[in-house]
Amino acid sequence: MNNITYEEQTKITRAIIKAAVLMLEFGAESKLIEDTAQRLGRALGVDSVEVSLIPSAIVLSTLNNNQTQSVTTTRRAHHKPINMSIVCDVQKMCIDVEREKKDVDYVFNTIKEIQPNHYNRWLVVFMVGLSCASFSYLYGADLNGFFITFLAASVAMYVRHVLAKKQFVLIISFGITAFVATLIASTSQIFELSSTPNIVMTSSVILLAPGFPFVNSVLDAVKGYLSMGWGRWMQALLLSVATSIGIILAFALLSMRGW
Amino acid sequence: MDSLLATYVLNAIFAAIPAVGFAMVFNVPRNALVYCAIGGAVGYTTRFVLMDLNIPIELATFLASTLVGVIALYGSRKYIVPRPVYTIASIIPLLPGTYAFTAIINLLQMNAQGVSPELITLFIDNGLKAVIILSGIGFGLAIPSLVFMRYNRPII
Repeated sequence: MNNITYEEQTKITRAIIKAAVLMLEFGAESKLIEDTAQRLGRALGVDSVEVSLIPSAIVLSTLNNNQTQSVTTTRRAHHKPINMSIVCDVQKMCIDVEREKKDVDYVFNTIKEIQPNHYNRWLVVFMVGLSCASFSYLYGADLNGFFITFLAASVAMYVRHVLAKKQFVLIISFGITAFVATLIASTSQIFELSSTPNIVMTSSVILLAPGFPFVNSVLDAVKGYLSMGWGRWMQALLLSVATSIGIILAFALLSMRGW
Repeated sequence: MDSLLATYVLNAIFAAIPAVGFAMVFNVPRNALVYCAIGGAVGYTTRFVLMDLNIPIELATFLASTLVGVIALYGSRKYIVPRPVYTIASIIPLLPGTYAFTAIINLLQMNAQGVSPELITLFIDNGLKAVIILSGIGFGLAIPSLVFMRYNRPII
């Protein structure tokens, strides 16, 4: 089985890196990317797969014929909004290939057919509004505060959706969303609608907390992917700064100071 | 006693909602949403109970996310879904988002209004809390798989 020609090995390498790039772009953990690439490689019949990850690209080598035949390729990864359903699909495909001994063409076809599982836009808007309102409850807001948070967060989520659809850079859309959320939430302080305006304002921007990159960065770092850890930390920090600038701009417009 | 139980149940429900809501933003597959809700409720309730026992928030968060990580490890073997898909949604209610934003806003205020001891105190307070809670969450989630990583290797 070890007599794979150079062309076949190149094709296998292309299939593996396609799967790996999909996982990196949609926010999978580094350990998961490397494990999936190596399992796919073994299942498709190469001796070993070596992966080198940096935040913006993947370098991948496959070795075969007693490590005398090596194919290396590089792909750039453009970061997209996190989408776990695609990561799940790639993982499922990897397991299918392992168990049912599928071939390379199966990998190419499956990857071509992977579609993001999009939830209804209004359902997401409603659920995120409710989530932020739940946060305000957990932090101890009153009933009025609960409803203002719900309104502010829902509108903010809608704005974020519109900006995401027009494909703005994440930093810009986070800043604008935070600005809108703070403007609406600050009515609780200006018109004294709620007795806990600070909680309302903090919990209505919590939908912008970049929890996923932050947690991923710690997970990557403790599992030995230090540069990925730093990269994701920087990305999350930039998003937080963008959000804070949006909040500060809203404060400046309303001439308020601090929370 | 009844009212205490009621508080726990209410908090668990209100922690499960954000877990599901944010899981939808990350496009978690439909059949994993239930586990996100359970994970969110378990994580938050554990932290709440531990904080009632006078354990500081950092340690309580670490223990709570370790519990979520251990549960998720056994869950992911049963239903073939990569773990981060629902662990990260489950610990969303524990995230120190407010601390992080307050810290950065304090930093920007220091630039705009001039540095004052109060602002520095606020900044260090919030920033430290955010970073320590966040590393607590990360380590807690990573510990179960780190233990397994050692087992994969021969000890000698």
